[in-house]
Amino acid sequence: MVRDIWTVVIKDLKLDIRRAENFFSMLFFSVTILLIFAFALPQKQSTQVDILSGVFWIVFLLSGLLSLNKTFQQEKENGCIEALLVSPVNRGAIFLGKMLGTVVFILIVQILVIPVFGILFHHSVIENFSWFLLMSLLAALGFGSLGTLLAGLTSDIRFREILLPLLLFPLIIPLLLACVRITQSLLAGEGILGAGDWLRLLVGFDAIFMIVSFLVFEFVMEL
Amino acid sequence: MVLIGLERNSLRVTNGSNIHSIFNTLNLQRLFLKDTALTLIDRIMSFNKISRLLGFAVLIGLILDVLMIFAWSPTDSSMGWVQKIMYIHVPSAWTSFLSITVAFLFSLLYLWKRREQFDIIALSAVEIGVIFCGLALITGSIWARPTWNTYWTWDARLTTTLILFLIFSGYLLLRRFSEPGDQQARLSAVVAIIGFLDIPLIHLSVVWWRTLHQPSTVFSPKQNVIDDQILVTLIFSVSVFSILFLFLLLNRVELERRNRLYMKTVMTVDE
Repeated sequence: MVRDIWTVVIKDLKLDIRRAENFFSMLFFSVTILLIFAFALPQKQSTQVDILSGVFWIVFLLSGLLSLNKTFQQEKENGCIEALLVSPVNRGAIFLGKMLGTVVFILIVQILVIPVFGILFHHSVIENFSWFLLMSLLAALGFGSLGTLLAGLTSDIRFREILLPLLLFPLIIPLLLACVRITQSLLAGEGILGAGDWLRLLVGFDAIFMIVSFLVFEFVMEL
Repeated sequence: MVLIGLERNSLRVTNGSNIHSIFNTLNLQRLFLKDTALTLIDRIMSFNKISRLLGFAVLIGLILDVLMIFAWSPTDSSMGWVQKIMYIHVPSAWTSFLSITVAFLFSLLYLWKRREQFDIIALSAVEIGVIFCGLALITGSIWARPTWNTYWTWDARLTTTLILFLIFSGYLLLRRFSEPGDQQARLSAVVAIIGFLDIPLIHLSVVWWRTLHQPSTVFSPKQNVIDDQILVTLIFSVSVFSILFLFLLLNRVELERRNRLYMKTVMTVDE
């Protein structure tokens, strides 16, 4: 099982490395959104601290959506999804592999986006780099679980680009709220335990939807 | 084989007189009679009979409900006449949660047993749930304007209801964008299940986020918070709405069954 998951993760990451356009499009998309926020929001340093965590997570969600869109689309192109499904690997392993691949991909992009974010908005972000990365990991686990499930679910359907965010965003509102609150307390200097309840909610959300998505994925991917 | 399977499948979802005539003209009645068990149930208690009975109950219930709301239950001392909208708002919210629960259960059943009937019930329940969710939101806004002096507040229960409305509107869009069949049924069942499981988390997070709503009065441990007459009217109203839900569900299920049967018959004839 672990080996199967590993194989799927490595396969996806290899594909991503060979077609660098996925990575760069996501990176430049994130930076572009950051620029738009920088132009659209007030310039005063004091207000920028208040809206910092909100902007960060909006950028996270929008760019994360791009990486979800690609997970099953590139499989569809040459009928690879059928090959993957008939291979002697159980659906749970395919799901976990795809999910972890997405998480790693999101994290690599975040490593580059967080410094840019700090430069454009506020220096405190760079000081808290490792915390921001940890929060991105926790968010990516829940986002990646539900996102991979729903990306697989909508992969056969017309208008999937619009349907995926329509289904996904309302479902991950608890995750978004928790991330915004924890980041706020991080930036306020209270540490990650300053929002202990929210942290528990976030970890619980990740755990619940990882398990649920793992269990129902086989119904989504029937040949 | 596929063709026979299709026909048999479509026959299972049959009853109702219009369908009989279609089958007669297509000379398929021979096949139709195979499903004797269902035909027998049909003879004892037809869909029309149950539907008419429920419809009658709903009609009487709604008339009584209106009388109770406006003539019997006392007018609230602080909120005045405005408070009467509660007898529509609370039952609507209740009915929407009831339908979503029904949809969740039948989605699980569908994934387990794979019977088309369960899929039809889940779809019908979600449609009714979304309508009542919308009603609860609208009546909530109307009620909030005079009492909280705003049409919309980010109160916990209102926000949860709004998110619920969005999730299950997404469900209906998914239905709209995919072709009827086993795949559509599976995918929508999965969405209904994760949507339902998400509700407690959404509610918890939104409660922590902010709250302004009056604490739930009906189920609060303190006694005599609300007048007996108001409580009785509210419970009666909720019961009437529940019967209305059953009535709507039954009719929507029957409509969907006939519609799908019709589509399948047309397809079979084409082939």
